[in-house]
Amino acid sequence: MRNLKSTIVSLFLLTGGMLSASAQDANTILKKIDDVMYSPKDMTGETKIILIDKAGKQKTREANFIQKGNDKRIFRFTTPASQAGIAVLSLPNDVMYLYLPAFGKERRISSSVKNQNFAGTDFSYDDMESKPYSEKYTPKLINTEEDIYILELTPKSPKSAYSRLIVKVHKTNYYPTYMEYYDRGNKKTKVAVYQFEKIGKYWNAKEIEMTDLQKNHKTKMLMSDVKYDTGLTDDEFTVRKLKQ
Amino acid sequence: MKQIGLTVIIIVIVLSVNSNIAKAQDDGNKMKLSGELLTDQRFLLEDPNDWAWNENRLTLKLNRKITGNSRFYSEVWLRNIGLPDIIFPEVLYNKGIVDPYNLEVREAYVQLFGFLTKNLDVKIGRQRIAWGTADKLNPTDNLNPYDLEDVIDFGRHRGADAISLDYYFNSEFSLQGVFIPFFQPANMPVGIFANALTSSMELPGGMTLMESSGRVHMPRYNLSESSTAGLKFKGFAAGFDFSLSYVWGRDGIPISTYNTFTPVDAMGGIRIFSQLSYYRTHIFGADLAGSIGGVGVWAEAAAFLPKNEVIMTNNLSALYPMSPVPVTQDTTALEKKIYTKFILGADYNFANGAYLNFQYMHGFINERGKDALNDYFFVRLEKKFFEDKLKIAPVGGGFIVSDWSDFGNNYAIIYIPEISYMATDNAEITLSAALFNGKGDNMFVNFKDYNMMMFKLKYSF
Repeated sequence: MRNLKSTIVSLFLLTGGMLSASAQDANTILKKIDDVMYSPKDMTGETKIILIDKAGKQKTREANFIQKGNDKRIFRFTTPASQAGIAVLSLPNDVMYLYLPAFGKERRISSSVKNQNFAGTDFSYDDMESKPYSEKYTPKLINTEEDIYILELTPKSPKSAYSRLIVKVHKTNYYPTYMEYYDRGNKKTKVAVYQFEKIGKYWNAKEIEMTDLQKNHKTKMLMSDVKYDTGLTDDEFTVRKLKQ
Repeated sequence: MKQIGLTVIIIVIVLSVNSNIAKAQDDGNKMKLSGELLTDQRFLLEDPNDWAWNENRLTLKLNRKITGNSRFYSEVWLRNIGLPDIIFPEVLYNKGIVDPYNLEVREAYVQLFGFLTKNLDVKIGRQRIAWGTADKLNPTDNLNPYDLEDVIDFGRHRGADAISLDYYFNSEFSLQGVFIPFFQPANMPVGIFANALTSSMELPGGMTLMESSGRVHMPRYNLSESSTAGLKFKGFAAGFDFSLSYVWGRDGIPISTYNTFTPVDAMGGIRIFSQLSYYRTHIFGADLAGSIGGVGVWAEAAAFLPKNEVIMTNNLSALYPMSPVPVTQDTTALEKKIYTKFILGADYNFANGAYLNFQYMHGFINERGKDALNDYFFVRLEKKFFEDKLKIAPVGGGFIVSDWSDFGNNYAIIYIPEISYMATDNAEITLSAALFNGKGDNMFVNFKDYNMMMFKLKYSF
């Protein structure tokens, strides 16, 4: 009798769990992606950016970055020599500063730069922005496969360069594994493939490969020496620090 | 046994601490050497295509973080510039003239972060104190001496030997104080543009200028005469960066205060000997920068108030030898009245990679006094191709109006199209032209005989 009761409870829990998983709505899934992607309080690391042209020729850029929450970041190039020292400070409300060592002062960047590719990569400034997906997009669950959910994201802002995004999301860990970007004419323009690893309690996108389908050009972004929750303060994300 | 255990623990701790210090020093205290090699060659388009500029510059930058709270930085130019100026054979024994070169310390300073209090940064030594939010041309940027050697490189300044203190009230508001103990004048253009910024003098009828020479009166090198001080309050509000500034300094381009006229022939030819000086002035500045609807916008203004009226005396006594008294003529070269130079600008990045920059400026670097300020419109459109390897700027240059009431006879056009190509990650080749045209009395009209092609190769390391 005890065994039967236990079996019924287990079945109930299992069924309940399955029902709850399939019943998850798109908003919940997107919120969970944000939780996975943006839950660290802060983050520091190094990044290697490999640009691959259609002939397979590669160029490498390296940079270090610090980030707090999802709206404060300093990204500073260390190589190649022609770009070393160039840094971008991103703050809330699309406030961005560019520091060019040759000029010795910061320069405010107009928010129209978000339309453009970041430092010759296939990522736009907009793609690089770490604003939560749930703030930028309206989701729709369009399919569920064995290990993944497939979401369609529609930009909330009419100024977005994209008409929609198709995102494949890992069912258990809720990180994106693949993204398709469609332009305003609904043409697929870019594809991103993600590889995640767990560092401490957080999932880290250790490699992102973005392919521009029109240019047949790829950018690989490899993260290393990533540290989370080191206690960065707001003082680290100021023009004062940008110029140091 | 207990003692041995304790000793082992201490050794392990000491080794561990030492190894961490060594690692920190290795990472943070490393001297970084970087720089670039630039060759800049220009020739005139007009036959016989004289060479207009020859510069080979090695820039060396040394950057060392001494501790977590201090840093040393220096930038040195080692250059071969100009063309050999050889007239006499003995000069051929002087390598410095046969192959002209120079060494210039552009910057060399130590910076202390969190000095005395965590909110104060101090920078001591030769440094660039770049003020203003406008693009390259900044009316409020008056602490460093102008480097006018290359008139086409608008807005270039030399380093100033200064102490600069930045106090940060919080992440948005700060106060900067700058003190420059001695005056450093602007260096003037060289080569074919040597007289570009020299203002023309109206001569009495029948006189022709045959020769001119002069003497510069530098301020005495003491704190009250020679020093410059500046203060700037900087902030961020309602999405805009802004600043208010004040400078008590001297205008770095000399002004003629006493001219002695001497006849050199019976045909009205004269020689003028001028005495030049640098006048004291107050400069009140303000600027702001932000973004409206995706368009970057900025505005910057500087109000100049000379300490005294500047009188120019022409001594014509030598032209009137029979006169029993000296014959002199006084005119006001600069009134003791505020005149304001300002600039308004905007830029936009298009989705296709194009970039547009527009600026309207009232009052150029060398213009002084309310009535002498001209209007300048600058525009640049550029677009990158082939993964940013190729950059083409088909539209670049300016339009200048020196007299709106007779616009057709008082304007100048500067057209500087440019193509640059990143041959490798660190090698950039730039080909451009500078074309000038116009009418009237305007600095850029005087350049119309100097249309040129320019070639630059920059290699960064």
